[in-house]
Formats: sequence, structure tokens, C-alpha cells
Amino acid sequence: MIMTKDHIGGMVFLCLSLLYGYYAGDIQMLPGDEFEPFTARTVPQTLAILGGLLSLALLLTAERTESKRLSLSNYDFALVAKLLVLIVVFGLALEWTGFMLATMFFLMGGFWLLGERRIKTLLIVSVPFAVGIWFILAKLLDIYLAPGQLYMQFFGG
Amino acid sequence: MLDGIFAGLSTAVMPFNLMMVVVGCFAGTFIGMLPGLGPISAVALMIPITYGLDPSSGIILMAGVYYGAVFGGSTSSILINAPGCASTVVTAFDGYPLAQQNQAGKALALAAYSSFTGGTVGAIALLFAAPALAKVSLSFQSTDYFALMILGLTAVAAFSGKGQVIKALIMTVFGLMIATVGTDTTSGATRFTFGSIDLIDGISFLLLAMATFALTEVVMTVLKGEHREEEEQVDMSKLGSMKLSRAEIKEVAPTIARSSVFGFLVGVLPGAGATIASFLAYGLERNLASAKEKLKFGKGSLRGLAAPESANNAASTGSFVPLLTLGIPGSGTTAIMLGALIAYGIQPGPRLFLDHPDVFWSVIISMYFGNLVLLILNLPLIPYISKLLVIPRPILIPMILFFSITGVYLVSFNTFDIQMMVVITVIAIFLKLLEFPMAPMLLGYILGGLMETNLSRALVISDGSLAFLWERPLTLTIISIAVIVLVVPPVLDLFRNRNRKGPEVAVNEGEG
Repeated sequence: MIMTKDHIGGMVFLCLSLLYGYYAGDIQMLPGDEFEPFTARTVPQTLAILGGLLSLALLLTAERTESKRLSLSNYDFALVAKLLVLIVVFGLALEWTGFMLATMFFLMGGFWLLGERRIKTLLIVSVPFAVGIWFILAKLLDIYLAPGQLYMQFFGG
Repeated sequence: MLDGIFAGLSTAVMPFNLMMVVVGCFAGTFIGMLPGLGPISAVALMIPITYGLDPSSGIILMAGVYYGAVFGGSTSSILINAPGCASTVVTAFDGYPLAQQNQAGKALALAAYSSFTGGTVGAIALLFAAPALAKVSLSFQSTDYFALMILGLTAVAAFSGKGQVIKALIMTVFGLMIATVGTDTTSGATRFTFGSIDLIDGISFLLLAMATFALTEVVMTVLKGEHREEEEQVDMSKLGSMKLSRAEIKEVAPTIARSSVFGFLVGVLPGAGATIASFLAYGLERNLASAKEKLKFGKGSLRGLAAPESANNAASTGSFVPLLTLGIPGSGTTAIMLGALIAYGIQPGPRLFLDHPDVFWSVIISMYFGNLVLLILNLPLIPYISKLLVIPRPILIPMILFFSITGVYLVSFNTFDIQMMVVITVIAIFLKLLEFPMAPMLLGYILGGLMETNLSRALVISDGSLAFLWERPLTLTIISIAVIVLVVPPVLDLFRNRNRKGPEVAVNEGEG
């Protein structure tokens, strides 16, 4: 039996619709809502049914051809995972090191991950870019950028 | 109407707004040139910047970026055979062969003239079509609005390419589901927040648009390993002359005129967008050509280049008609603009024409300026702008990622949004690998809240009965159109597939 992209998608959305419908039942109702034609649950419950029906339709109509199979070769998932982790770290670093340093580290990390290994290039591009963006935001546009908790601990607020 | 036009003109010619048109066209051209990034990504990247501007300037900037990106996509199609977006895929059919014959300059000039004419015809038609449609739609009630939103959602889903209707509908429902996360505006109940304070206000439009169209598109280029590809060096000495001879102008003039009108009409259809317009115009022109001329198509035909270029720009303008008058986006890009307008507190639709004539008319008038800017400023600068294409991808990609992330962060100053973007990006990548279109999801999300409000009003008025769907003739008409739009394309496909089994041209998402 061939599992195609449509089958996988159909099953994922069927599960999602079931879960969504289940949690739609948890939405709090106001007193007297049971007599109202429209409540906070109306649309979610309708969507859950609609989502379920469409997922079933996709599952039933999906072609079972070899060309529709999901092929994960030729994709660089490891690199994408590293980039996404870098973004998460950037989000955390913003709170600890502040905007300018976090930007520098993020850019250098990004360049390095994508294959740029020359230290000089990493620094020449990321440092002026980060300083420039910080200057535009903080000084020209007067946007408050928190200095970062590490800075606050060492130098005080 | 004249008062409105003057109000719009005075807003559009303000130095700051003129600057926005120029900046938008340049930024759009640059982003559009980058393979993998199209008008949707370009417009999504602009949202955070427009948040600091007034509504007219913000939408003018976005419209400029939109044209610029379509034009930029054509440039990379012609020069390096790498369409920046789906709507310029057809441009590469004849544009790249022309560039290989050392006629890149001529191809670029023809693309610019065709785009300009297409855009101008579109802008003039919009000038008349939009107010006329807006006047008609002033009589709309909440039931009609609900029906209109159904039409908008089904139309986008139905135009989403062959064999994709169910997938597009699922994505629309998924978008509607995302829209229900947060506090329900009618009852005040929290829905699907799972106790998280960060989700009480729901998932922001900016975050969703940036994650699905900017971040995901860039990450997809990395996933496919496109960042490792050697940048094709554009040899400027081989551009050749940018002048067209009198005979060539005579040859392409009827094509440009035809395709412009045709493109505008296709663009007006909700959901059709520039991509479908360019494919259809190319097909139409090929069918109209003589047997001898037909052979040239795909090998550097000027008519083959002029047709999609005129049509995609005219369609881009045409897609503003349903957006400005009915509040229904004609394409993925205008869906993002709709979200931006709603974020400004402006509800596009019939009332926009009356309540915010400055926004309505200044957008229309600035479109014309945008076309002028593309022709007068961008065309001579193309050899220089295209040099940006040689910036190494390992340097460019982290910078675009940075702008996507900080664009969201600088609006909310909440690092939770960055983590949320990563989660949404992972989901979007998975869905893209399964070939689910993204535009219907965003549209579902944008229209979800409004649809719920209008449905709630309609149901309360009709005392819980769904009879409003068929009792009011206007509502019934719109619902009937929605059903036809939804049912006819798959049925036609079915018949075509039965009659002939040949190669198909897949049209993507209607995202232009």
C-alpha cells in the first residue's frame, strides 16, 4: 500500500480536527448560553466537523501513485534544525545580552552555519550591521531596546 | 467622486508618500529578484515598517513593494532564468532565451514597457471599477458580508491549482481554526489558550504572515540546498541595447493591449491573481499567433514575453478591486494587505470608499506613480540593482532571517513571539513538503474573526435560523456564486482528465 503526501496530510488534519473538536467542548459557556443560537463554541465545533469531513475527503480521493510519495532525501534537515535553534537562542539572548550583541552573534552564527568560515568576513559584516541597525533603531527612531540582564547585573540599570 | 480623487491625489503627492512609492518599488525590486522570495514575502517583510506609518503611507509602501517585487521577479527570470515568484515563471519562457541571444537589455525594456502598460490599464480600470462596485455593495447587510467572506474563501481555494481544491479548503479551515485562538470578542471566553497568557490575545497576524511567508520561504531555500548554488554571474556587457525598433513595437502593441485588459479582468476575480493571469495570457497569445510565430514561442518570442508581463501587472492592479470594494483579497499578497489594513483599524469594503476616501484614492493614484517609478527609475538602474544578486547567499540569508524575526519582535517586544515563529515555521515547512498551499490558510485566518462576527449577527437577527442564507436574494446570489466557483473547476478538471491525459501546467496557489 502506498502512503502518499495526501494520505499523510489527510491523517494529520483528521487528528487535528478531532483534537480541536475535543478542546472546543472545553470552551466556557456563559449562563443561559444553551438557549442562544450562537455561542463561543458554535464556530469551533462547526470548523472541527468541516475539518474532519475535508480530511476524510482528501484521504478517500488521494491518488495512490509512486510520484506522490513523500520523499525526504535531498533535503538538508540538519542545517535547517541548526538555523531554527539559532533563532531560538537569538530570542533568549535578546533578554540576556541585549539587542546589539545578540544580533552580532546571530549573524555570525548564521553566516558560519551556511558555510562562511572566514573570521574576518564574519566580523566585518556582522559587527557594522548590528551596530548600524542598533543605531538606527535606538538613536534615530528612538525605540527603547532593553540593555539585557547580563549588562544590568554588571553595570546596573 | 471627484472630491475623493482630489483628496487621494493630495495625499499621494505628499513628498513622504512619493518617497514611500520610490522606496517600495526599489525594495520590492530587490527582494523580488531573489530566487525563492516573491511579492508575498516582500510585502510580509514590510508589515513591521508600515506599523509606524499612517494607513495611507503604509498601504502605498506595500503597493510599491508589490509592483517592485513582480518587476524584480521578471528581471531575475530574464537574466538568470530564476523566477523570483510564481507570476513571473512564464516570463522566463521567452525572456531567458532572449537574454541568451544577447538581447537581455531588449527583454528587460520590453518587460518594463509591458508592465507599465499593464499597470496603467489596470490603474485606469480600477479608477472606474472600484467606486462603481463600492456603490453597489453599500446596500450589503451582515448576511451578505458573511456570504461574501464565504465567496472569498472558496474562490481562493478553488483557484489554487489542479487537484489542490480539497487541500486548499483544508488550509482555509486551518486558518479559520487559528483565528479562533484567544479571547472570543463576543462572549469574552478564552479559547484554545491552554492557560498561556501569551495566547490570550490570539496569534498575531504579523507573526503568522512573517513566519509562513518570510521565514518559511527563506528556510525552504536552505532546506533545498539552494543557498549552496553558485550565484550566476550577470554579465552586464552582454545586456545589449534597451531600445525596441518600430517594427518590434508594432508587433507587440496589440499583444500588450490585449493582455493588459485580459489580465485586469482575471485579477478582479477573487483568488485568481497574477500567476493565473500570466499563464492564461501566454496561452491566449500563443493560440492567437500564426503557425510561424507559434514556433518562436519558448525560443525568445517578443509576444511571448510581452503577454505575461502585461497580464501579471494588470492582474496585480485588478486584485485591488475586490480588496478595496468588498474586502475580499484577490491574491495572497492582497490578503496580507487586508490584514495590515485591519490592523490599522480600517475595514476594507464598501465603507472604505466613504469613511476613508483618502486611503481609497491615494492607493489607486499611487499605483500609477508606482508604475511610473518602475519605468523611469528602475529600468535604467537595473544593471546596478541586479549586481545585488551576486551577494553570497550565506551572507544574505541570515540577514533576511534577522529582518523577519526582529520585524515581529520590535512590534511586541516579547521573545515568546520569536519561539512561536519557530514553531509555526516548522509546521509550515511540514505542510509545504506535503504540498499544502499557504495563502488560503492566511486568508482563512484574516477573514475568520470578521466571518464569525457577521455570522453571529446574522444568526441573532434571524433567531438562530439559517434561513437568511436563502431568504435574502443578494445573499443567495453570492452563496450560489460561491458554490459554482467551488464546484465548477473540479468538475471541469474531471471531464478534461477523462477526455485527454496530457502534460499539465500546474499553477501555484494564486499567490501573485
